[in-house]
Amino acid sequence: MIAIDSYAYNNQLKSVHPSEKSLFAIMTMVICITSPTILTPLVILALMAGGIIVKAGIPARVFIKLLLIPLAFLLISVVTIVVTVSTDPSGLWLYQNLYGYTIGIHYPDLVQAVHLFLKSLGAVSCLYFLALTTPITELITILHKIKVPYIITELMVLIYRFIFVFMDTAITIRRAQSSRLGYVSMKSTYRSISQLFSALIGKMFLKSRDLYDSMSARGYTGEIRVLTKKYPINPKNYVIITVLEIFLILINLLWR
Amino acid sequence: MSKYILEAVDLQYSYPDGTNALRNVNLPIHQGEKLAILGSNGAGKSTLFMQMNGIYRPDSGCIKYQGEEISYKNKALIELRKKVGIVFQDPDSQLFSASVWQDISFGPLNLGLSEEKVTERVKQALIDTETTDLQDKPTHLLSYGQKKRVSIAGVLAMEPDVIIFDEPTAGMDPRHSQEFMQLLNSLSDKGKTIILSTHDVDLAYSWSDRLAIMYRGEIIAQGLPGELFSRSELVQHADLTMPWLIETYNELLKKGWILPSTPLPKSKEDLFKIIPIKSGQQTA
Ligand SMILES: Nc1ncnc2c1ncn2[C@@H]1O[C@H](COP(=O)(O)OP(=O)(O)O)[C@@H](O)[C@H]1O
Ligand SMILES: [Mg+2]
Repeated sequence: MIAIDSYAYNNQLKSVHPSEKSLFAIMTMVICITSPTILTPLVILALMAGGIIVKAGIPARVFIKLLLIPLAFLLISVVTIVVTVSTDPSGLWLYQNLYGYTIGIHYPDLVQAVHLFLKSLGAVSCLYFLALTTPITELITILHKIKVPYIITELMVLIYRFIFVFMDTAITIRRAQSSRLGYVSMKSTYRSISQLFSALIGKMFLKSRDLYDSMSARGYTGEIRVLTKKYPINPKNYVIITVLEIFLILINLLWR
Repeated sequence: MSKYILEAVDLQYSYPDGTNALRNVNLPIHQGEKLAILGSNGAGKSTLFMQMNGIYRPDSGCIKYQGEEISYKNKALIELRKKVGIVFQDPDSQLFSASVWQDISFGPLNLGLSEEKVTERVKQALIDTETTDLQDKPTHLLSYGQKKRVSIAGVLAMEPDVIIFDEPTAGMDPRHSQEFMQLLNSLSDKGKTIILSTHDVDLAYSWSDRLAIMYRGEIIAQGLPGELFSRSELVQHADLTMPWLIETYNELLKKGWILPSTPLPKSKEDLFKIIPIKSGQQTA
């Protein structure tokens, strides 16, 4: 999570307009999810890998690690779709008899499962592209621009900021505890963790009050208005996005 | 028009838990002055500052802005906060956005300025606090001193008349804290009234026009820095130490290197100037 966040601020695509990156990621994701053929997700996976590794300059190792996260989850769902248990082996493509039951695979199920698997992985890679190249703050600004209610975007701004503040606090407390042998035994670990949480809640309460005070001091009256840095709009990028998307749609149409 | 831009009159304040944080505080602040408030931890400096733009309301006594008691009605408070800005002690409780740009633009936008004007002010504040190259970083990846400078930029961009800094140089490295003091001087040259709190006696002594010493919720002394620091019992009582410039001056005086009529040095350069050349020694 934290690694994704750091890359978002420090990659070779960071100066590209966030709307362009979002448009690209979201449109590609929609095409991926609606694809009737396994070819599209494969092309998209390659496209996003190229975008992330070559264009954004993020190490391949990081991207692969991130793809492994949903992999376990995806494999489980694939297995549940593919494997059929019945007493009748007819129609099964591959099967094995066990204690009077037949465990097997229907061929159409297999195709469907692989397709689903690739579609999911393709869609996830689109999201990774966005998350690795675009800071959350910029994404929130886009949400604000497309008229998502400001209560939601404001909360996102504050939550995003304070995740890090509280994480820092928690890490500091934990360090202080470990350096005084707070985690040497099971018992002391339980006690330390409970103390960490109660300290953290106390701190959160104080910090939120201080934050409100300091925001009032700068004229806060109930609505957070901020200005975002302007990014140059690059028509070339729009052309590239259009061409790529048309290409993907064509694959969808021709290989249905 | 009153001769004081801001004034604390008989301020009393207790926190809800009963801590008596301010006791009968009287503090006039002159238009355009550089005032340092010295006090050890827990003396009540931050609490006093919170009163000055109406964030906390005193139990009794009042704050006057340009001679008039401040009102705690919403509209009046907003007007007051346009004129009196505070940079808080802890940057983590001031920076609400992960984006440096967004955070700095927050204050000026609340002033109702146009986007162009706000952009201009953000850029200027970034330059003034030397944070231009931090603008693309998220606030959570900045060091403490860097966050501090961004939070200062957020208030500078509002261009208030009175700027209050709560322990601004704590956590800054020597170079940045020196440059920050220069920034304060240039703000002061532009006519801003500047108040800062610190427990750094050297900084307070060299920088300020006037000094107030706080101790356990009271202002136990206020006046010219040279005068206050000549009262060593006072300095000790407030859990502070003597500025090294004054200690050196006193030592030189005691050992007969300088005459009692020699003026107190305000800076290292002043001090070096008053140290006489040993007789027989050639000047360089
Ligand atoms: N929110 C609070 N609730 C209760 N007591 C507080 C609170 N904030 C500060 N205090 C107490 O008020 C006194 C003055 O604190 P403060 O103004 O923060 O001092 P300083 O800024 O000079 O270090 C201290 O004794 C402190 O413990
Ligand atoms: Mg304080």
